[in-house]
Amino acid sequence: MTAEKKGRLRSDRPLSELKKERETFIQTFLRKGVQFTEELVSENFKLRQRLAELEANNATLKAQVASDDAIRELLKKIDALEREKVTLLSRFEEVEAASSRWGDQYHEVEGELANLANLYIASNQLHGSLSVRTTLLRIKELLEQLIGVRSFAVYLASSDGRSLVPVLSGGIGTPGPIPIVAEDGGIGEVYSTAMTQIERGALRHGSVDRPLALVPLKVEDQVVGVLAIFSALEQKSHFMPVDFELMKLLGSHAGLALMCARLYADVGYKSPSFDGIASENS
Amino acid sequence: MAEYSCLIVEDSPMMRQLLIFALARVRNLRVTEADDGVDGLRKLASARYDIIITDINMPIMDGLKLVKRVRSDPVHQATPIMIITTEGSQEDRQRALQLGANAYITKPIQAPQVIAKVKELLKIE
Repeated sequence: MTAEKKGRLRSDRPLSELKKERETFIQTFLRKGVQFTEELVSENFKLRQRLAELEANNATLKAQVASDDAIRELLKKIDALEREKVTLLSRFEEVEAASSRWGDQYHEVEGELANLANLYIASNQLHGSLSVRTTLLRIKELLEQLIGVRSFAVYLASSDGRSLVPVLSGGIGTPGPIPIVAEDGGIGEVYSTAMTQIERGALRHGSVDRPLALVPLKVEDQVVGVLAIFSALEQKSHFMPVDFELMKLLGSHAGLALMCARLYADVGYKSPSFDGIASENS
Repeated sequence: MAEYSCLIVEDSPMMRQLLIFALARVRNLRVTEADDGVDGLRKLASARYDIIITDINMPIMDGLKLVKRVRSDPVHQATPIMIITTEGSQEDRQRALQLGANAYITKPIQAPQVIAKVKELLKIE
């Protein structure tokens, strides 16, 4: 077929048909364009929705991450606080231990002070009078009130030293103690040896025959008598350290106080002259 | 800081001295001494005290009579009273507590015990 023939064939179709065909084509094209546009709009709408969802999810995730960070921070703080708590507890225990030690020391010092006060008062009272009667009364008070003695006797040596004469007693009843021969029995032994005998264990029920304590009364190094403690108050289970000190003090001061009082009475309660005392002792 | 006053009624100078030494450990406590119950009442007539410490066995007027007189006196009836007894005088102790004494201590007295009781009665920390 030649080109001429071909051109004739196309042009052979009527114009109306060509127009119709063109219209159909245009309509089809436009319909497809509309359909495509609608599809695009629909797709766009879906994409927007999806985007909104993703943004919402993103916001939620961001919040969660932020929340996790806060939790991590809090956990860190908890760890730090736990460590601080352990440190503080350890410090508290140290302070508690120190406080307890101080408390113990405080009570110890308080006890020592009370004991020293007892000794001071005993000494002060023993030497606070030049009356034999008052001095004897104070020895009695000291034994009963400070040591807690129930029954006792104070023996002083006679002028020839052969017997021990009771000058004071308490809690024995009648008849009271009687003079004893020096060197006789436990009391005599203490008088002759100057050795103190004190019950150091639990206090049994003492008696005149089995005293709880025998203390030599000395003036300087000379034994002038014996203090015998026969029994103590019921609540007293042991002699305490301060009791030993008080007995020691009585041993070295009671005899002296009685001797001074007696000498003062013997000179008619006259104060001695101190004239020349400095030159005599220089 | 509050100041407290204490009246010690005791015939034994040694016991008074011992109590004064013990109470010197209580801060801001002023101590007045009386020789017996009558002397105690005389002191109470001219001043008010925050606490009274009295022995039971005393000449002229004993501690029991003193407790009774103090409790019948509108001025001093609320004043705490602590009595000092020996372990053998449980009847006296009971009688004193019945008459209105608030506490007791037993001879031979221990300074820490006296301090603790006085602080308790005066409500001192």
